[in-house]
Amino acid sequence: MTGSTTRRGFLRGGVGAAIVTGACRPGVHGEVAPESTAPQPTPRERVGVEAAINGEARTLEVEPDTTALEAVRGLGLTGSKHGCGHGACGACTMLLDDQPVVSCLLPATALHRRKLRTIEDLGRAALHPVQRAFAAEDALQCGYCTPGFVVEATAFHDRWRAEHGTEEPAADTVAAALAGHLCRCGAYASIVRAVQAACSGKYDGTGPLRPPRIEAIEKVTGAAVYTVDVRVPGMLHAKALHAPWAHARLRRVDWSKALALPGVRGVIDLMPPTKLVRFAGQEILAIAAVDEATAVRALGLVELDADVLPPLLTIEESLAPGAARIYPNGDRGKPSNATEGPLLPERWHGNRRGPFDLFSKRADKAQRAIEEARSVGTVAQGSFRTQVQCHTPLEPHAAVAAWDGPHRLTVYLSTQAVQAMGEDIAQRFGLRHEDVRIIAQHVGGGFGGKATLTSEATIAIELARICGAPVRYALDRRAEIMIGGNRPGAAIDVAVATDRAGEMVGMSAKATSTAGVAVGTITSIMFRIIYPEAPRDLRDEDVVTHAPPGKPMRGPGGPPAFFALESTIDELAYARGEDPLVVRKRWDPNPARKPLYAWAQALPAWRDRGAAGDDKGRYRRGVGVAAGAWFAFVEPRSRVQLETTPEGLVASCSTQDIGNGSRTTIASTIAARFGLRADEVFVRIGDSRYVHGPMAGGSRSTSSLVGTCDDACTQLQDDLVELASRRWKLRGAKPVAEGVRHDKGVIPWRDVLRVAPPMLVVGRRHRDKGGYFLPPLAGIAPEDYVASSLQVAQVEVDTRLGRVRVVETWLGVGVGRIVSPVLARSQAEGGVIQGIGYALYEERRLDPRAGFLLTAGLEDYRIPGIGDIGPIHVHFDEHGYERVPGHNVGLGELVTLTPAAAIANAVYHATKWRPRELPLRPDRVLEGLRA
Amino acid sequence: MIVFPTDLQQAAASDGTIRAGGTDLMERRHALAGGELVDLRDVEDARAIEVLPGGGVRIGALVTIAAVAADDAVRAGYPGFAQAAGGLATPQIRAVGTIGGNLLQRTRCWYFRSPEAQCLKKGGSTCYARAGDHLWHACFDLSPCAAVHASTLGMALLAYDAGVEVVGAPIATVNELLGDGGDPMRDNQLPPHAVLRTIVLPPPTRGERSAYMRAISRARAEWPLVEVLARIGVQGDTIAWAKLAVGGVANVPLRLTELEAALVGVPAQPEALIAKASLASEGASPLPMTGYKLPLLEAAVADALERALASEPVGGA
Repeated sequence: MTGSTTRRGFLRGGVGAAIVTGACRPGVHGEVAPESTAPQPTPRERVGVEAAINGEARTLEVEPDTTALEAVRGLGLTGSKHGCGHGACGACTMLLDDQPVVSCLLPATALHRRKLRTIEDLGRAALHPVQRAFAAEDALQCGYCTPGFVVEATAFHDRWRAEHGTEEPAADTVAAALAGHLCRCGAYASIVRAVQAACSGKYDGTGPLRPPRIEAIEKVTGAAVYTVDVRVPGMLHAKALHAPWAHARLRRVDWSKALALPGVRGVIDLMPPTKLVRFAGQEILAIAAVDEATAVRALGLVELDADVLPPLLTIEESLAPGAARIYPNGDRGKPSNATEGPLLPERWHGNRRGPFDLFSKRADKAQRAIEEARSVGTVAQGSFRTQVQCHTPLEPHAAVAAWDGPHRLTVYLSTQAVQAMGEDIAQRFGLRHEDVRIIAQHVGGGFGGKATLTSEATIAIELARICGAPVRYALDRRAEIMIGGNRPGAAIDVAVATDRAGEMVGMSAKATSTAGVAVGTITSIMFRIIYPEAPRDLRDEDVVTHAPPGKPMRGPGGPPAFFALESTIDELAYARGEDPLVVRKRWDPNPARKPLYAWAQALPAWRDRGAAGDDKGRYRRGVGVAAGAWFAFVEPRSRVQLETTPEGLVASCSTQDIGNGSRTTIASTIAARFGLRADEVFVRIGDSRYVHGPMAGGSRSTSSLVGTCDDACTQLQDDLVELASRRWKLRGAKPVAEGVRHDKGVIPWRDVLRVAPPMLVVGRRHRDKGGYFLPPLAGIAPEDYVASSLQVAQVEVDTRLGRVRVVETWLGVGVGRIVSPVLARSQAEGGVIQGIGYALYEERRLDPRAGFLLTAGLEDYRIPGIGDIGPIHVHFDEHGYERVPGHNVGLGELVTLTPAAAIANAVYHATKWRPRELPLRPDRVLEGLRA
Repeated sequence: MIVFPTDLQQAAASDGTIRAGGTDLMERRHALAGGELVDLRDVEDARAIEVLPGGGVRIGALVTIAAVAADDAVRAGYPGFAQAAGGLATPQIRAVGTIGGNLLQRTRCWYFRSPEAQCLKKGGSTCYARAGDHLWHACFDLSPCAAVHASTLGMALLAYDAGVEVVGAPIATVNELLGDGGDPMRDNQLPPHAVLRTIVLPPPTRGERSAYMRAISRARAEWPLVEVLARIGVQGDTIAWAKLAVGGVANVPLRLTELEAALVGVPAQPEALIAKASLASEGASPLPMTGYKLPLLEAAVADALERALASEPVGGA
């Protein structure tokens, strides 16, 4: 992607590898079924099912293998979600004769003469107390898993209340009842709180509900429409054929039988001109048919002929002498971009790209300091390895594309970047920007995996173009884990040297990472933005392998880097006989983190801990600390349009809410300026027709939106002052916080708004005071601040079964003024929970010989469950960031950087065994403890 | 074709794959195969739990796992078994999945479940796990197939020497139903045109104590790395008898008969039981990546024995 940095923004440098290779551009090789031979599919076996669905007697005609979920969603009841298809995530949960069941594994035939209730029925007359509690306690983020949780929780609640009255259930009792549900955003803590509160009767009332998250009611009732729920008339369904080999040259693809299958409408070739398959899962072709089952059958009729070549699947294999080059032409082979920033050109050595050492500082001096310290024993060093983590948002990548003539296109897209996707799609398909409309009303999580233009969009668009009909394409869970995105695995060697007085004199970090066929892994900058300005030798190298491409994932490069660095600092502190917190505090020049040290030192769990290894029993408890630092980014082009309408204030821009709360951020900021409640401001986002809104990525939403909303409010208030002056003939009128101040008093904003005619302003994001750290590049600017966190984790190690359990977490966050405390806390908890997954459970595994995916579902790819988190305490220090309009920066990525390091350090404190490889599986723990 | 027989005789006479709750089958049919279906939806028999006149409990194969876990007679006489039923999968799966389906489900091996691997169990010629990634696979290498058996209840029932009634085949015990694991193609010995009707738990021994234990990495809802059902009888201050079954370690659940014998006469003290638990891995033959399962198995057995010893005796002491 060299040379593209001026056009494409951060987080937009690359696309999924199957697309990068050149397929899907206009002029793509594809074929449609001739009109005459494109009849409806031959009727398949049908079974009649009579069921009472949401109180209504229905007769369904289903196929023997149709699931209850498919049948019910086919009725337009799309509140129940397809999450994993394996019964592991529970997003599809319905009540069968009042009993929660996973409808993705329930045969539709089983509904015969049974009573079925779905999320749509629960809130129909009045919201169930559990729904009220979920909304009021903000027990959700993206909301995709919410209907399943709510259905299960209502059944639990009703049963509990019948047996226990308003006694509050223990947290673990709730966790046991909800064990069949997964939330990738990590809203578990508030889910437990909500269920407990509902059981205690707190939400029995029917009074007005003012949820902290303004779209919460839509999400707890199943009314929120996600891309996977979109149905447009005449819509076709697409499925892609994924390469089963990690490395192959395709000799022949014959899709004639597939195209001849009744119901199939078109097929497109997705192979690059080289016909090279570079990873298992690469899309070979995609087929559109009248329904998904027909498309799946058609894929089975495609004939492939390929020379299967030996794959290189690990760093070691790719670096072995004589290993074939995966990109013989280096960057010109257009590997996709795994980083958040633009790719800088690098030199290649075989399958190794780099080293990238831009962030080094007096590297020679750092090495000399480390050598010297080594000779006197004042260095801590270690080699750390981290696994590949998958984003696996519960709503998979999905798109519905509809052409209106040859030059106008609407794409419903599950994306973190509505604005950017509109621009990128226009560019790619040669359309005018204003002729491409992107819609993403609700987005079921992203975590960095939905920030670029990838195949789900281009497949739907291209098939829709050649078939002349709208096309829907959604990844299934296997494909999502396979190609939906992942955090690269890394091997990092770290050394930190001090002088005898304990001052840092040098640091080195050498990271060798693999993002599969993608490049651009960068961890080294993390070692630069924290701790004193001692010399540093920092290097990053990519090693390409025949594995699916990595993508930027929440805090790209951060979790592996902080695991390595903060473990090493911990080791150094123990070696010096110093308190690990005190060492960090002494070294840390960051003003935003300073108050967090005082807060952490006062925590009883930290203050009262014993010496490392003191605990001698089977279960050993330990406490660990880790510091984190992240960049503050802003999208300077951000705008917010603010209008007065008869219904009230309407704010709009093309940003999106992926569970990060941007809707609420806009509403709260504006409401506060006008003395309104957040739900009195109508927010319209998720549509590229609105003014430029920021991408949800790079922790930029808050920083980009708050100052912009403030500017819009200021403009509108100026106009309202004028209006009020004229209307009421005021003297000396001027805007103040409460309203329009004049000689005789203050007219509240609410009253001024009431008489306002339609007015419209567009707010802009003014520059930070003193400017940015660097000028805006490719649409994004780093601000002159580093956001800061500090985490204390308490763990319990079961030395017999090798299990590590997180007992309790304290996370201190310094990102300035918090706009919405409830949502900010939820996002911070979610970051901790994803970090717990990274530390303890999550790990993508490929077959070591053929390279195909083994952890292909949410049973084998293990994300944390509701019982795995322990209490999480979030402390916000709201000082600082005065030069940023709004006095705040983002926190989405910051909060997931430290958990692995803090947990590993806590394991050391508990056992005196220093973990150096993630995840901390029982087999690794048992081995570590034996050594 | 799909048929809905109304009794198990009819079901046995029908051609096709039998579907009860569908929690295992539906996903496999979506991913791996189609074919004819014999859906037991309309079958009325085999849906009850009966207490037998001479003691013992008969459980219809179509009884859900949740109903087994919640049943008073099961909980009173077979607490370890009830714990096993209540501890597997998730509440939603237990609400639909049947005890028969649990016994007859196919392995969770990620190669068996992958469309990319034509493994031994799918009629292929090689076990992909053996030469590939077998992190969660067998440590008792009994079969060319390195997968572990998935049935928690099969494992638990083995410790109870449970019987079965099968329509259409002379299979009388859970042990016979599960087989010895030697045939890599099979997860059970049920021939075509045979249907499991009931599971029969013999009367518990008065005063016996039992416990179920699974080693997992998360708190809940995870396939076990290893699992154990321990039953012990205590006489005076010593162990009079012990029955132990383990899962997650082999192509079939195993009874640990050597350990059972070694426990007899051992003082009924946790330390003494834990000391013997190292025998649990006797005879194990781990694969290169499953060596960790040996200490884990010993630990889980120790845990199960300790918990059993601390548990309420059946029918009072």
